[in-house]
Amino acid sequence: MSKVLELKKGTEDGVRDVLKFLLESGKVKCIFSLKRISGNGSAIAYSLITKPEEIDDTVPLFPLMPVNAANLLSQFTFKGPSPEPVAAVVKPCELRAFVELVKRQKGYLDNILIISPTCGGVYPNTMVADPNGDEKAEVDLDKLQAKYWDSIKQYEIPGEIRPTCSSCEQFIPYNADITVDFIGNGNLGQECRLYLNTTKAEEFVQGVDGSILNNEQDIRTDEINNYQKKREEFKNNRYNELELDDIGLEGLVNLFGKCIGCRGCRAVCPICYCQLCTFDSQNSNYKPSTWENDLKRKGGVRVPPNTVYYHILRLTHIGISCVGCGACEDVCPVNIPISSIFKKMGEAIQDKFDYVSGKNPEEEVPLKIFELEELTEVED
Amino acid sequence: MNNENEGIKTEDISSIEDDSQPATTTTSPAPSSENGKGAIIQLEEGKSIDDTLISLLKTGLDKGSFDAVLMPVKVPAGDSFTYLLIRDRSVLDTIPASPLPPIMSVQGAKAISSLTRIENGDLTIAAVMRSCETRAAIELSKLRQANLENMVLISIDCPGAIPLSEFIAVPEKSAEVFQKARSDRDDSVMRPICRVCNKSSMIAGDLHIGTLGAETGSFFIIPNSVKGQEVLDGLNLDAQESISGWHLNANEISEEKQKKRIDANKELKETVGGIDNLTDAFSQCINCHNCMRVCPLCYCQQCYFDSDRMKHPPEDYLQRAESKDSLRFPPDTILFHIGRMMHMTLYCVSCGACEDACPMSIPVSQIYGMVAQDTQELFGYVPGKDPQELRPLATFIETELGEVEE
Repeated sequence: MSKVLELKKGTEDGVRDVLKFLLESGKVKCIFSLKRISGNGSAIAYSLITKPEEIDDTVPLFPLMPVNAANLLSQFTFKGPSPEPVAAVVKPCELRAFVELVKRQKGYLDNILIISPTCGGVYPNTMVADPNGDEKAEVDLDKLQAKYWDSIKQYEIPGEIRPTCSSCEQFIPYNADITVDFIGNGNLGQECRLYLNTTKAEEFVQGVDGSILNNEQDIRTDEINNYQKKREEFKNNRYNELELDDIGLEGLVNLFGKCIGCRGCRAVCPICYCQLCTFDSQNSNYKPSTWENDLKRKGGVRVPPNTVYYHILRLTHIGISCVGCGACEDVCPVNIPISSIFKKMGEAIQDKFDYVSGKNPEEEVPLKIFELEELTEVED
Repeated sequence: MNNENEGIKTEDISSIEDDSQPATTTTSPAPSSENGKGAIIQLEEGKSIDDTLISLLKTGLDKGSFDAVLMPVKVPAGDSFTYLLIRDRSVLDTIPASPLPPIMSVQGAKAISSLTRIENGDLTIAAVMRSCETRAAIELSKLRQANLENMVLISIDCPGAIPLSEFIAVPEKSAEVFQKARSDRDDSVMRPICRVCNKSSMIAGDLHIGTLGAETGSFFIIPNSVKGQEVLDGLNLDAQESISGWHLNANEISEEKQKKRIDANKELKETVGGIDNLTDAFSQCINCHNCMRVCPLCYCQQCYFDSDRMKHPPEDYLQRAESKDSLRFPPDTILFHIGRMMHMTLYCVSCGACEDACPMSIPVSQIYGMVAQDTQELFGYVPGKDPQELRPLATFIETELGEVEE
């Protein structure tokens, strides 16, 4: 249950108003948000903004995730916590991923006011980079957003968003100071409702041109629960389509066979934080005797090696914290449904430890904890 | 960034020359190629050029001309191609191989480097790939990232390659489109970088398969080194036929493409020239660095732009944001591209792997290729052409580039 701040403006305009207020009042030094940047008309990128006028070009709720913001918040606070208050507008999975990075000392939450919407999902980057297979075309971003909002208002899953977004049941942010009422808000164009989840949030918005409603409210309603079931249904259908349940090694070889080893999935994954991946290190510089032996045994070996092994090992390393954001699948030059595979396996791993990635910043990553009695079912 | 020349003074010119060892391929060109001669291979009954070539490779394995073959094959699911190192010739009977697949999924030079980066193996390997992959391999060997001593590099006349994303969407149809375009010599369906490639028939390795200008039902095998000549000898193939027909065709195509390239680069320069235009061109770049990782000539195990040098304290970022009112994050997108260009432009073979891997459809290889054309021309350097030729950055010439002196 949270206090609700209402602004008599469209939801995105209202958020922009709050961001401007935070800068103008000096309550924050900087805003972190999606923004329309100069250049290709459809270019949207995260930006650090210090001048209130620049907020006009922000699109904090735009259904796009060019990069998972957790990577960026981590880069921003890599060398230490932010020395000044900063407000960041991020999607729920980006926030969860950042929490997982914070647990690994790859970032700091201190001094960051988190604003996050209930998330309707994002479009693949190709939607703006290569619309209809034409990289020279420019996309009408306003039209795209309007179409998206039409679905959101009615608790519908918008078509053409990332499959992994359509499968996501964790669209209500954990740990946000302010939650933007987005999914199912029939008045997205006329009203802005912000749930103030923390005292910090209440303090920061004091002075905003809006009114706090009399009653505290719970963002989780029956309609939201029903919507969650829609997402679950999509997820199960997707897993079935990909026949993930008993995919086996042969199935993985078929799925990952066209992998070109670009390692894009690793680069964009917020959880993959290793500065030098084992596959780029001396560990993977094989002497000829290695492949000569393989060659004798099998008659033929794929070169460069480790196509499927790379994916399986990466899954082992990050599955415990995978937030199912879909950045991996989006960046893949050969359209392998990486996110669906990792999400399914990641959830299975997390279930085993009763762990929900990114939900509780105080909860240690299970791999860091030793319990004498655990997973007895795998003992002989 | 560290390089082998750090700390070496100009007096130590001889030590610089010693440090930069030539590529580890055989030194002398084959006598027959100097005389413009090659072997003519007749296509086997009802077989294509590709199948005949595969037969030849099988014979080579049987006769021990080489111990293994490295070439593209179809992946198990049939929806792409990858490099396979084959020792057992029966593998070539069961897995569909393709000396010239419709796409360049992995740059062949990277495959060679992954095998021999640490040291030379015992097995002799015949590596069949496109000319740009062969040249990249030779260049990598100069950079000591590949050892070609036991490699027999076989290049083949290249019609271009289909854009990777297009192929992946409809693999079967794309394969048909490619084969037709190949026989019709129609490059309109190939990647933009391929359409302006004037080195698609460049002989660089040990043997070259010349399909242009040969009588219907045949192709040339042209030796370019003693090693290549020895392979032909082992296969009982006489390189005694004149390849002037092939030369004529290849030169004609090369000149035509060179013209196209000059025009395309001129146009591109107008669109992306200058820092503002270049920034716009890369405005959708998400800094995934796919381009860098698939590039054969980007061999650094840890890229400078992924290192600690690029990580700054939050105070720095906030200061930058304040000075600009709004700072795109992460910053330094253009720094990465210009930096990468500076590091590898002299070795760029314009293979197009970068553009295929870009998730935002940025014309990376066209931009990098355009810059490479100019920088390589400045030094009169063609990467991968001559294994003996020292690369420009490793040589010191006292009077050079006088035009930039005041």
